[in-house]
Amino acid sequence: MTTEISQETILSRTSWLKRLTNGLRILYASPATAVGTTIFILFVLMALFGPMLAPYGFNEQIYTDARQPPSPTHWFGTDNLGRDVFSRVVLGARDILRLSGLGTILAVISGTTFGLVSGYWGGLFDEILMRIFDSLLAMPALLLALLLLGTLGPSENSVLVVILIVYTPIVARVVRSVVLSVKTRAFVEAARLQGESLGRILFREILPSVLPALTVEAALRFSYAIFLVASLGFLGVGVQPPNPNWGLMVSEARQNVSQLPWALYFPAGAIAVVVIGVNLMADGLKRILQAGD
Amino acid sequence: MIMLGTNFRLHNKRLRAPLFLILIALVALAACTGGGAVDEVPPQVTEVPTEEVVTQPEVSEPEQAEEPSSTERSGVLRVAMQPIVNIDPISISSDSEVLVANHVYDYLVDIDPANNPVPRLATSWEISDDGLTYVFQLAEGVTWHDGSPFTAEDVVWTFDRLRNTEGTPTADLYENIDSIEATGDLEVTFHLKQTNPFFLYDLSDNHALVLKAGTTDADTNFNGTGPFKVVNYSPEDRIEMVANENYFVPGLPKLAGLEIIFFNDQTAAVEALRSGQVDLVMRMSTSLFESLQGEPGINTIEIPTNGFDVIRLRSDRAPGNDPRVIQAFKLATDREAIFQLVQQGHGAVGRDTPIGPLYQAFYTDEFNVPERDPEAARALLAEAGYPDGLDMVLHTPDTGGRPDLAAVLKEQWAEAGINVEISVEPESVYYGEDGWLEVDLGITGWGSRPYPQFYLDVMLVSGAKWNESHFSDEEFDRLAAIAGTTLDEQERIEAYHEIQRILIERGPIIVPYFFAQFGAISNQFDGLELKAFAGRTDFRTVTFSGS
Repeated sequence: MTTEISQETILSRTSWLKRLTNGLRILYASPATAVGTTIFILFVLMALFGPMLAPYGFNEQIYTDARQPPSPTHWFGTDNLGRDVFSRVVLGARDILRLSGLGTILAVISGTTFGLVSGYWGGLFDEILMRIFDSLLAMPALLLALLLLGTLGPSENSVLVVILIVYTPIVARVVRSVVLSVKTRAFVEAARLQGESLGRILFREILPSVLPALTVEAALRFSYAIFLVASLGFLGVGVQPPNPNWGLMVSEARQNVSQLPWALYFPAGAIAVVVIGVNLMADGLKRILQAGD
Repeated sequence: MIMLGTNFRLHNKRLRAPLFLILIALVALAACTGGGAVDEVPPQVTEVPTEEVVTQPEVSEPEQAEEPSSTERSGVLRVAMQPIVNIDPISISSDSEVLVANHVYDYLVDIDPANNPVPRLATSWEISDDGLTYVFQLAEGVTWHDGSPFTAEDVVWTFDRLRNTEGTPTADLYENIDSIEATGDLEVTFHLKQTNPFFLYDLSDNHALVLKAGTTDADTNFNGTGPFKVVNYSPEDRIEMVANENYFVPGLPKLAGLEIIFFNDQTAAVEALRSGQVDLVMRMSTSLFESLQGEPGINTIEIPTNGFDVIRLRSDRAPGNDPRVIQAFKLATDREAIFQLVQQGHGAVGRDTPIGPLYQAFYTDEFNVPERDPEAARALLAEAGYPDGLDMVLHTPDTGGRPDLAAVLKEQWAEAGINVEISVEPESVYYGEDGWLEVDLGITGWGSRPYPQFYLDVMLVSGAKWNESHFSDEEFDRLAAIAGTTLDEQERIEAYHEIQRILIERGPIIVPYFFAQFGAISNQFDGLELKAFAGRTDFRTVTFSGS
C-alpha cells in the first residue's frame, strides 16, 4: 500500500510538473500574463526589501522639505507634512501585501475546510451552511466589511477578520462545487470502502482535485483583498494614520490634491498597478490550469 | 477532472477591480473636502464676550452711512454655505443658520470684528453703578417685515422666551437675569441677580435675535426687522432675499439682494466661486484657500481667530496625574513646527493656553513655553517611573487638520519615548456618549470666542462641564472666579496673566496653534469684513462695484 501511495504521489507530481511547464509556455506566450507576474514579483520584492529601498521613514517629517514636487531628492515629492512619498509608497507595499496575503490565506484555509466538509457530508449541515453563506454573499463585500469594522473597531486584526469573513463563503462555494462532482468518483468510493478516515479522504483524496480551482480562486481573492484593504484605508476604517497604507494615503492626499497632486497619484497608481498585475496573473493561472486539465 | 465551479465569474470580476479604482480616483478628485478648521466646537456652546464692557457709556451709532441714498442699492451677493436645518433663532447653531438669521433679524447688541459690543436695535445703554441694572434705548422707526411697528415689548418677549424655554443653551446663559421689563415704548430694563461683566456679550449670543412678540411660526416663517427680507426659501437648495427698503439704519443695506446657496462640499463651493456661480465662500481648508490665492477676479481674505486645537492629557489618573509626565509632553512638542506643517503658517503659534494674542491686554508673553528638549522629556519620564517610555492611544476627530496634527505629534513624541497609537474617529464617535471626556489623551477643537472666560469656565475649572483634561487646581480656580466676576478691569487682566503662567507651567494641555478664518470673494464686491465665526459676518455694508 505504501508503494501504491508513493507512486500516486509521483504520478501527481509529474502531472503537476507537466502542467507547470504547459503553464509557463502559456505564460510566455501571453504578454499580459508575463507583465502581471513581473509586476507581482516586483511588488513582493518591494515588500520584502522596502526598508532597504526607502530613503526615509514612513512617518519621518522633513520639516524644511514639506510640500515639494517630485525631484531627484524626493522622487515622488513630499506630502503636506514633509514626508517622502516614495518612501511611503515603498514601505506601504509590505503592509498592504502582508495584510491582504495573510487575510487571503486565512480565508482560503477556512473556506476550503468548510467547502470540503460541507460538500462531502451534504445533507442538513450543507444546507444550513450554504444558506448562511448565501446571506453573507448577498451583502456587498465593502458594506459587510464596514459593518464588521464598525463592530470590531479599527485595527489590523479587525481587517484580517474582515477579509476572512468576507471571502470564506466565496472560497467555500468554489471548493464545494468541485467536491460535489468528485465525491461520487470511484477512487473516493474505494478510499471509503478501505475504511480511510474522514480527514484522510477529504485532504488526501479529494483536496488534490480541488487544488487547481482553489489556486485560481486564491489568486483572485488576493487581488480583491488588496483592493479591500486599500478601500478600507481610504474610508478611514482600517489601519490608522500615520500608517503608509496606500488607500489611507489617497484619502489624506485628496484634501490637498489641488496643491500636491503627486501625493495622491503615486499611491493611487500603486494600488492600480498591483491589483491589475495580480489580476493578470490570476487570469494567466486560470488558463494554465485549464490547459493542464 | 478539474471542474471549475459554477461560481467562476472570472471575467466580470476581473474587470471590476479596475473599475472600482477609477471610481475611487474620481471620488478622490471630486471630493477633496477639508473639514473646516474653525468652528467644530464641542456641542452647543454659547457666545461669550470681550473687554471694555463695564464702563461703556452711551455709544453712538457706528454703521450709519452718511449718504442718504437708499435708492442706490445694487448687486446680489451669492454666498455658498452649507444647508440650513433650523430656522427658528432659538434653535440655530451652524454658521449658515446664524448667517441667515443675522440678516433676517437683528440683535439687540452686536459684536464688531474687533470684538467690541456695538449698538444694533439698542442705540445706547446705561449700566448702574452696582452693575446689576442695564437700561437700553431702542432705535426709532423700526418696523417688522409684515409692516407692524417694533416696540420694547418685542424685546421683553424675545428674551423671556430665550431664558424660559427648557433645554436650550440660552436657558443656562440667561439664568442670571432676574427680570426684564419694558420701561417705555422704546426702553428696556434688564435686572441681574449677580454682576456679570460680560452681560453685553451674552445679550449678543448667536440665538438672541429679536422676534416679534407672540410669534409662533418662527420655524417656518421669516418675520424680522433685519436688513433683508426672505422672498424664497427652497430647502437644500437656496434662500433668496431682497433688501428691506424700510430698514431702520439709513443707507443700509447697500446690496439689492442676498442669496445663500447651499453646498455640502467645500470643494464644490470653491469651484462654483471660480466659475462665477457664487460670489463668496467663507469656510474652506487651508489648501483650498491657498489654491485660490492669485486667482484672477477673486480676492482672498484671512483673519486670525481665537479658535484652537488642544491636546489634552487626563490629569486625574496615571500617567497624567504626575506633573513630570505633563512636563515631558510639553518638552517633547515643537509647536512652531506643528504650526508650519499643519496650519501652513496661517493663524498663530499657541502657548498652551486658550488666551491668545487677539485678546490683547488679557494676553501676555511674559511666561515662556520651554524649548523642545526630547532628552529632558525622556529623563522626566524615567524619573516618573517610565524608564522605557510611555505607550498611549491618541484619540482625534477626523475633521480639519487634526489627523495631520496627530501624525506630527506621533513623530515628535517618539523621540522622547512617548509612543502613541493614533485612533482617528468621526466627530460623532469622538464626542458621542462623552467619550472624549473619558480618554487619557485626545485632540479637541474649540471655536473662536470673543472673550476667554468661556474656555476657562467650561473646560478648565474644577468639575467644569467639558473639563476634558480633568484639570483641578485650586489657584487656577480662584483666579478664574476672580476674572469672571470682578468689575475691576485691572484685576481681571492680572488674573488672566497669572492663569497663563499656571497653564504654561503645569496645565495638562498643549495648544499648538490658533486657527485662521478664510474667505474668498469675487472682486465685484467691496467692504466685506470677515468675522471669526463666519455666521456673524455682516453683509449690510458690503457694496457691489461690478457691472
